[in-house]
Amino acid sequence: MLEIGVQSKNVVSDGDPAAGFRLLRELGFSCVDFSLNGYLTNTDLYQNKRGRFFDRSQRELEEFFAPHRTGAEAAGVRIHQMHMPYPIYLPRGSEELNGYLWNVVAPKSMEICGFLGCRYIVVHGFKLAFELGSEEAEWRRTEEFLHAIAPLARELGCVICVENLYGSAGGRLTEGPCCDARKAAQRIDRFNDQCSAEVLGFCFDTGHANLVGLDFEEFLTTLGSRLKVLHIHDNDGLADLHQIPFVFTRTRENKSSTDWEGFVRGLRAIGFDGVLNFETAPVLTAFPEELREDALRLIARIGRYLGGQISSGDR
Amino acid sequence: MNVSCAPGGIVGWNRPGQGISDLCRGGFSRMALDLGELCGPEELENLGKPLRDGDRPLRRPAAQEPALLGQYARELAEACQGKLEWSVARAPYLRRDTKRTDLNGLLEELAAEGIRACGELGCPFLLVRPLFAGVERGAAWAVNRDFYLRLGAQASRAGVTILLENQCRDHNGHLLRGLCSDPAEAARWVDRLNGELGEERFGFCLNTGVCRICGQDMGSFALQLGDRLKAVILREWAGQRESSVLPCTTPARDQSQSAWISLIRGLREAGFDGELVLELTDTAAAFSPLLRPAVLTLAHQVGEYFKWQIQLEETLKNCPSIVLFGAGNMCRNYMRCYGERYRPLFACSNSPASWGSRFCGLEVRPPEALRDLPPDCVILLCNIYYREVEDQLREMGLPNRIACFNDEYMPSFQSGGPGGG
Repeated sequence: MLEIGVQSKNVVSDGDPAAGFRLLRELGFSCVDFSLNGYLTNTDLYQNKRGRFFDRSQRELEEFFAPHRTGAEAAGVRIHQMHMPYPIYLPRGSEELNGYLWNVVAPKSMEICGFLGCRYIVVHGFKLAFELGSEEAEWRRTEEFLHAIAPLARELGCVICVENLYGSAGGRLTEGPCCDARKAAQRIDRFNDQCSAEVLGFCFDTGHANLVGLDFEEFLTTLGSRLKVLHIHDNDGLADLHQIPFVFTRTRENKSSTDWEGFVRGLRAIGFDGVLNFETAPVLTAFPEELREDALRLIARIGRYLGGQISSGDR
Repeated sequence: MNVSCAPGGIVGWNRPGQGISDLCRGGFSRMALDLGELCGPEELENLGKPLRDGDRPLRRPAAQEPALLGQYARELAEACQGKLEWSVARAPYLRRDTKRTDLNGLLEELAAEGIRACGELGCPFLLVRPLFAGVERGAAWAVNRDFYLRLGAQASRAGVTILLENQCRDHNGHLLRGLCSDPAEAARWVDRLNGELGEERFGFCLNTGVCRICGQDMGSFALQLGDRLKAVILREWAGQRESSVLPCTTPARDQSQSAWISLIRGLREAGFDGELVLELTDTAAAFSPLLRPAVLTLAHQVGEYFKWQIQLEETLKNCPSIVLFGAGNMCRNYMRCYGERYRPLFACSNSPASWGSRFCGLEVRPPEALRDLPPDCVILLCNIYYREVEDQLREMGLPNRIACFNDEYMPSFQSGGPGGG
């Protein structure tokens, strides 16, 4: 049976991380997606603010995260994946900020990943197609960044995962970096060949894919074994809501407007044996405090359902 | 490159005269032929079902007699009286959420009739959507290969090129990427069909509305299609339901909701020289018939503007020499993208403070310096105050050609976006 994971955000607190991990375990999660991006938020970055969290030395950061590591271990929860702060490059950001993100935040995130025993770290590709004129030119910049952190990934035994993203035009969401599975697969293979190690993989984000109408099954089968981690969440096809799967409908038949059957078929076809990880932290602020545990329990239940569907049937 | 207009919302099939006249007055000399209006998706969906009380068809349904399709098309051609040429025809098609899996044979008959009609009327392209209803996922290519090759043989005899089109598919009311929406796959289909038929009888039509609803990068799509791309349907959607709206008329946050910059960049780089078809069914229908001629004039100008933007570099290529009027952001963008290949003699500015200085490697001179230009030198307005500056230059009585430059859709930007003044 596939393992089930969920974001640590809104559950695991710095004050008593052990309690959060214990709760997740009780509710049915054996894995966690550690929300490192919570320590330097995109909201701050878009305002050209860099915060001070990553000014800490490596030793200080390890001291800070030691209770998280022991708390997870004690609860029997594995920190399976984490999210590097994003964006890691701001087209309109100051040189100083971009330099800080590249030279300080990124390597320290990698070190934290290693310290927490986390195998996968998800990074966002640069969003520069508008400025540079093409997605290819945009990828070259992302690749340059990935090459800068790849040696560290190799040393720490981590895999960097790029994720399918969206952009926007006139308030309407459009495909962003890594929305072409074929290109992604070729690029990952080439990158790993260059590094002579499997240091790059893919994180498939169901919500982002749904926003730009990607065909889940086709995308997943094209990625194949390059798919390492998942961000499972749902939306109405219009906004990146990070909600519980199966809740959005559009017709009188009231069937899910997100192609979860295609998701299951795709994962089944490639023999996915990773973690069914939910990126659904906003659910926990949407529900009243009294219902949060029930919401998490439902998410875990959905994970088990999807896992059962993926594991059953012929490939 | 040709600009044409689809007839939806403009040309009524039962009485087409006024719509045709409106198109001509608007400046169009070409029209698309939508056979789907003569045998519509609803008609096909309800084929064989009893009519509701009061539902009386205005004409004999072509879905029951496919040969009527050609007859109706000929009647329309007669109404045009040679005032409009045909650009692209579209064969009848099913609703995206169709429940009818039994009509693929009929669709083929109707497409065959469409080929005959195109051959007779001199319409060079027929857009035929791939079969999808009742077609298993893994069988899509095999089913469509046979379908298109049968049509291809007929199209060859009629001298018509069949265009495939990117599709979206309905998933419980949510439109997702469908057949031929992956440009690499679309290119492969076109190549294999042409290869198996032994001649270039298949091409591609990029539907921008479908790209928009699936958030697709239209430029990348166009580039991957390359010279297989024979036509582009320019349309925007309003909201989430499928609609055909005049580009640039559904803005949000001061921007068009479609990323036209990507399309224009892609078509430019691909050297697109096919048919630009404006489809504005909903926009046209939403306006009073009294205002429709004005809407069509605007639509024609929008089409010509897209064409001009796509061919921008061709325009520069054809200038023996150039002077830029304007020494600001637009000039900077010009120099960054085209300064080496089409180097201006100098830049001109109305600002005395800038005279004698250098901007992006160009000497900045006063307007009076334009009087000494060689006669074939083109003055390129590199400043958003186009009309104001043009009036100024006209008043100076300069003999040189005055043309516009625009940096909204540059191949790349240093940062931010287009400049302006």
